[in-house]
Amino acid sequence: MSAIAAECLTMTYRAPVRPPGLRAALSSLIRRELRDVEAVRDLSFTVDTGEMVGFIGPNGAGKTTTLKMLSGILHPTGGDARVLGFQPWQRTHGFLRRIAMIRGSRPLSAPGELTVLDALRFQKLVYQVSDPDFRRNIDELTEMFDLAPLLDRQVRALSLGERMRGGLACALLYRPEVIFLDEPTIGLDAVATGAIRRFIADYRENTGATILLTSHAMADVEHLCRRVILIDHGTVAYDGNLNELTRRLSPYKLVTITLPNGLRPDLKHLGEVVETEAGRAAFRVPRTTVAAVTTRLLAEFPVADLTVSDAPLETIVAQLYREGHAA
Amino acid sequence: MIRSLRLVAGYAERSFLAWMAGRDFLVTLVVNQSITPLIGLAVWSAALPGQTSITTYFLALLVVRLMTVSYEHHTLANHIYTGDLADDLLRPHPLILGWIGDNLAIRLWHAIFALPLVVATAALIGMDVRPAYIGATVPAILFAAILRFLFTYTLALSAFWTERAQGVVGLGGVLTFLLGGEAAPVPLLPATIRPWIAALPFRAMLGFPAELASGSLGREQALAGYGWQLFWTVVLAGLTMLVWRRGMQRYVAVGS
Repeated sequence: MSAIAAECLTMTYRAPVRPPGLRAALSSLIRRELRDVEAVRDLSFTVDTGEMVGFIGPNGAGKTTTLKMLSGILHPTGGDARVLGFQPWQRTHGFLRRIAMIRGSRPLSAPGELTVLDALRFQKLVYQVSDPDFRRNIDELTEMFDLAPLLDRQVRALSLGERMRGGLACALLYRPEVIFLDEPTIGLDAVATGAIRRFIADYRENTGATILLTSHAMADVEHLCRRVILIDHGTVAYDGNLNELTRRLSPYKLVTITLPNGLRPDLKHLGEVVETEAGRAAFRVPRTTVAAVTTRLLAEFPVADLTVSDAPLETIVAQLYREGHAA
Repeated sequence: MIRSLRLVAGYAERSFLAWMAGRDFLVTLVVNQSITPLIGLAVWSAALPGQTSITTYFLALLVVRLMTVSYEHHTLANHIYTGDLADDLLRPHPLILGWIGDNLAIRLWHAIFALPLVVATAALIGMDVRPAYIGATVPAILFAAILRFLFTYTLALSAFWTERAQGVVGLGGVLTFLLGGEAAPVPLLPATIRPWIAALPFRAMLGFPAELASGSLGREQALAGYGWQLFWTVVLAGLTMLVWRRGMQRYVAVGS
C-alpha cells in the first residue's frame, strides 16, 4: 500500500522579470512582466508504507519544493498528491500529527534558552502525546540517540551533531508514520553522520515508518536506500533500484590493485587506467570481463591486494545529470 | 477550548523562557514604551497644573501601553521572512495560538520590569487609587490588549507582500500615538473632531482604558467606549482572518 502517492505534481512560480537599466525598471512599475518558472513538472511516483527512498537531484531540481508540497507547506499549481490518504496542503491536524519534516539545515527549531527536555515536553503538548507514551518514547529515544547527557542542556550550547540528535528526537517523539528528511547529515562530521544514519535506519526498522530522504551526500543514500528517485529540472529522471541505476549508468567496474616494492606496472592492455602511483593502480574494466581480467592480473603481476568495486555513486549521478537520462 | 488554552500557556512558557536570554533588551523595550507616556505626564501636568485626573490619565496610559504592547512586526514578520513559518505550518493547531502565547509572555516580562517604575511614578505624583475605577478599567485593558494584538498582527502580516512590514506597523504606531490619546487625551481635543476620533480603533486600544482609570468618564461614556471596543474587536478579528487567508494563499503559492 502506498503511503505517498504523487500524480502529475506540478509547481510553477511566477517570477517578475525585466530588462536591465533605469528605464526598464521604471516601466516595470507600470507594466509588470511575469515569467513562469517550473520548479516541478508532472512529477509522479509512489512510496510504499515502510519504504525508505532516496530523493535526489542537483541543486534547483525541485527536491525541496516537492517535499514542501508533500508535507503541506506549499500548494501545487497542478496535479495531486496523497500522503497517508490525506491531501497534504489541506493541512488537517490529523495529517500533521502523523508526519514530520526534518531539515538538516535547521534540525531543532526550539529557542536557545530551552533545554532539550523542555523542547521534548513542548512537542508532547503540541502533538498531544499521552504521559505513558511520552515516558516510553523518551526512554526509547534516549537510548537510540544517546540523549541522556543532552536532556538538561540548553539548545544554544549544543553542537550541530547534538542539535541533529535533539531535533530527530523531537520529530520522532510523536511517532510520525511518514518522515521527510531534507539533508539530514549536512555539516556533520564522519562520526556524527554515521550515527545519524544508524538512528534513521533503526527508527524505520523499529516503527515501519515511511521515509523520503533528500541528500547531496550520496553515501547517505547508499547506506539507507535501496530505491532512488532522481529528479532533474522538475521531472523524474530515474525511479528504481539503486544497484540497477549503477549497472545501467556504469557498465564498468573499478579494479584497484596494490603491488609490492612500489612497482608501477603497465596495465593499458587490461583496461582504462584511471589512477596510477608507485605500488598502486586503478583501472576501469567492462563488467562482463572482470573475471577474465582479474585472472590475468593475478597471473601476470605479484598482486598484494585487489578490490573490485562499482564507480562511486557521486560519479554516476553526476553523469546522469550531464546526460539527462538513465536509459 | 481547553486544548487551545493549554497550547497558549505552553507557548507563553516557552517564549517566557526564550526571552530570559534577552533580559537586557527587554529593559530597553520597557524604557522605550515608557518614555512617551512619562513625557506626556510631565508636559500635560505643567500645562494643566493641579488636575489630578491628568496625572492619573498618563500613569494609566503608561500601564495600558505596557500591558498591550505587541511586537508581531518582529516575531511574526521575521518568521515569514526567514522561512520559519514553514516549520510553524507543520504544527497541528491554529498558528495564531503560538503568537498569542508569545504576546502574553512578552507582556508578562514588561509587567515584571515596569512594575517598579509604575509604583515609583504613582508614589511620586501621589496618585489617588480608587478601586472602583480600577475595577472598571481592567476589562477595558483586556479589550485594548486584544485589539492592539489584532491590529499589530494584521499589519505584520503585510510581510507576506512586502519586506518592509516594520514600516507598515510603524505607521500604525504613529496613528495610535496621534489618535489614540497619547499625544493628547481625546477628551481634550476640539469638540468638533472628538466624536470621530473617539469612534476610531486607536482610542479603544490606548486612551479609553486610561480615561476610565482617571475617572473622567461618566457611565454612558464608559458604556459607549466599551461598545466601540467590542465593535473594533469584531471588525479587527474578521480583518485579521481575511488578511491571514490572503497571505497564506500567497505563501503556499510562492513559498518563503
